[in-house]
Amino acid sequence: MALSKNSGGHRGMQESMYSVIALVFILVACVELCDAAAAIDVYRLIQYDMSGSAYGSRFAALNHHAASLHFPPGADLSRAVLIIPLRELNITFVREYINQKKPLGGLLFLLPDIFSFENGGNKQVHEKEQLKNLLAELEQLLIHANIPYPVYFAFENDEIDTVLADIKKNDAIGQPATATTGGYKLVIPTPEPKKVASPTITNIQGWLSGLKADGDTNQLPTIAIVASYDTFGAAPALSVGSDSNGSGVVALLEIARLFSLLYSNPKTRGRYNLLFGLTSGGPYNYNGTQKWLRSFDQRLRESIDYAICLNSIGSWDNELWIHVSKPPENGYIKQIFEGFSNVAEEMDIKVGLKHKKINISNPRVAREHEQFSRLRVTAATLSEISTAPELLQGTGGLYDSRQFVNETAITRGVKLVAESLARHIYGHQGKNVQIFADGGSLAVNPAYIQSWLDLLSQTPRVAPFLSKNDPFVMALKKELTDHTDEVNMQHEVLEGVFTFYDSTSARLNIYQVASVTFDLLLLLVLGSYLIVLFSFLVITTRGLDDLISLFRRPPSRKVKTA
Amino acid sequence: MTMFHFFNCAILTFGPHAVYYSATPLSEYDTLGTSVKAALVYLGTALVKLVCLATFLQVSENDGFDPYQELLKALIGFIDVAGLYFALTQLTHRNISQNHKFQAVGLGWAFADSVLHRLAPLWVGARGLEFTWDYILQGLEANANLVLSISLAALGSLIWLRKNKPKTLIPIIYACAGIVATMPSITSYLRRGLGWHFPKVVGFELFTSLVMAFISWQLFSACQRPYV
Repeated sequence: MALSKNSGGHRGMQESMYSVIALVFILVACVELCDAAAAIDVYRLIQYDMSGSAYGSRFAALNHHAASLHFPPGADLSRAVLIIPLRELNITFVREYINQKKPLGGLLFLLPDIFSFENGGNKQVHEKEQLKNLLAELEQLLIHANIPYPVYFAFENDEIDTVLADIKKNDAIGQPATATTGGYKLVIPTPEPKKVASPTITNIQGWLSGLKADGDTNQLPTIAIVASYDTFGAAPALSVGSDSNGSGVVALLEIARLFSLLYSNPKTRGRYNLLFGLTSGGPYNYNGTQKWLRSFDQRLRESIDYAICLNSIGSWDNELWIHVSKPPENGYIKQIFEGFSNVAEEMDIKVGLKHKKINISNPRVAREHEQFSRLRVTAATLSEISTAPELLQGTGGLYDSRQFVNETAITRGVKLVAESLARHIYGHQGKNVQIFADGGSLAVNPAYIQSWLDLLSQTPRVAPFLSKNDPFVMALKKELTDHTDEVNMQHEVLEGVFTFYDSTSARLNIYQVASVTFDLLLLLVLGSYLIVLFSFLVITTRGLDDLISLFRRPPSRKVKTA
Repeated sequence: MTMFHFFNCAILTFGPHAVYYSATPLSEYDTLGTSVKAALVYLGTALVKLVCLATFLQVSENDGFDPYQELLKALIGFIDVAGLYFALTQLTHRNISQNHKFQAVGLGWAFADSVLHRLAPLWVGARGLEFTWDYILQGLEANANLVLSISLAALGSLIWLRKNKPKTLIPIIYACAGIVATMPSITSYLRRGLGWHFPKVVGFELFTSLVMAFISWQLFSACQRPYV
């Protein structure tokens, strides 16, 4: 027994020896540990092709020295990364650089905290509006340019601030960082970006059936409420689009909840079907909405009385706009507008009507209702913005963060739409009846709105990067399932006009490097130290003569042969 | 650039050992075998110390100075002395004078110590992009350690190999040997208890190693003198 114990212990020793040897091999194989001065999360500028032309930043990997805006004029920046905080941004400078295609190693923009969800909070920054506009302008510049070097966005924090201050100091002395003078090196080790294969757009629809009277064989009329939920911005990993169109999605969900409460009881179920649609592909001329509508049965499409599209209703004070494509004299439009105006008057909101004719030959679709109008369905878009946005503008970019959205605005918008719809459904137009009165059981729930808005403000929703079974899409589906009778998902492939590339976020390592000259000096010092040590030891142990004799060739050999 | 830095730190850490071997008469008398045997004995001692530390020591969460733990570490440190005794006395050496024996043993001892404690961090860390002064300081520490090991070996050989020593010097010899043997505990106390930074600790080590080397040299030459 003692023998087996002994051998067991011996085997244990052997095993630990093997593990020690294995560990040594692993250590030896380690090339570089992440021992950086700072490591921060960075988000890449979007890279996409539109109709064959390349846009955005075409590279992802970065391995260059850092430079700040205070670089000495005439310095060569083709192997340097410019770090530009948003507060010090000079947009003409960046525009010049990009338009004149000046060579640059890379760009890193530092965004203030207010644009991030975690740290944004309720900080009061006085130049909020200024920064927002500046960022919007920068975004539009970057999205429409073809940039042959990596461009990244990061949030300001203490680490990078100290690094930047150090870089500025070095630049001011006139010593920009290169291989021989030390400084900071920015390294992002990502593989080359690849195309996103067959990007999918997913439309989610929820159907709430109305009350069919016994013996009534006709199809009930339908009212559709639609909002697009995806975004497009300069940094896809940061495009949360709180206002465009997070506010619309939240409003739609709340309206669905309220009407599901009403429709759950057959006594209060209206004589209208309600169709809730969460569409994708919004920034791309509302491609998803078009495909969704095309997939409808002809009868269903004809039964739609009208559709209300919700877009950007999160940051208005007391004025909203209803955009239509049918002329305002049209009977249906008049009815809808009057319904909304009556409720708006009671709520102290001003509602204006904006008419814009659609041009079928022009592929540009500025607002969602135009897709309905192209298929001859009466529709209107409710929005706080009075002008029509350009392509890829106002689609929930970097500047559209939680800080700039006001839940009260959304709450009031929900009340306006729900009240107007309900009065139309139950035939109470013109009467002063408050169906969704505050404080009642059908009141609009601000907590619900806030929690969904918070979730949306933390979820980037650029359609090509949302897979079919993305957890967020599933969450939307589940929410609609709770509030409606029947939910369907439609998966389509995004039209071939757009091609997207992956690699949207990475980890940046900032290393403080010493220059080559430093190591050369060190080598010289060490060399002389070793020589001095050698001489000292020879002298003390063998004597000075021995040291001298080392340098003289022994003459004895010649004498001997002679 | 980074391999360059690794190369620089490597020659700072291991260069002096090679220089010592070639500069002194050790190379003439071909005492490499002794050094290698001493290095192996050091490895064995390190293993025994590791096992003892693992068995008796508790891992504390904070990096403070726990006197009881430090005392235990110091006691385990005396295993070092036992190892050195074994290397000096028990190993069979070729016919080399005592003068060279302790130098060879000390050299082998210090070289094994440098390789075991400093090679791995150097390989992993000095090749990275990030620059720190740590590896240069570590090299200086290796130099101090070389001097200390040779002094300890000298004192050890005085204690165990030389039978006729002047009586007055014996306590001094034992005292110096004690100080040199407890150097690791003293440096860890300075680092943890007093919170000295690494450069300061290395400076202290270099200074004391030179002082102890000088003292042990004097003691050794004092014992060489023919004794009446």
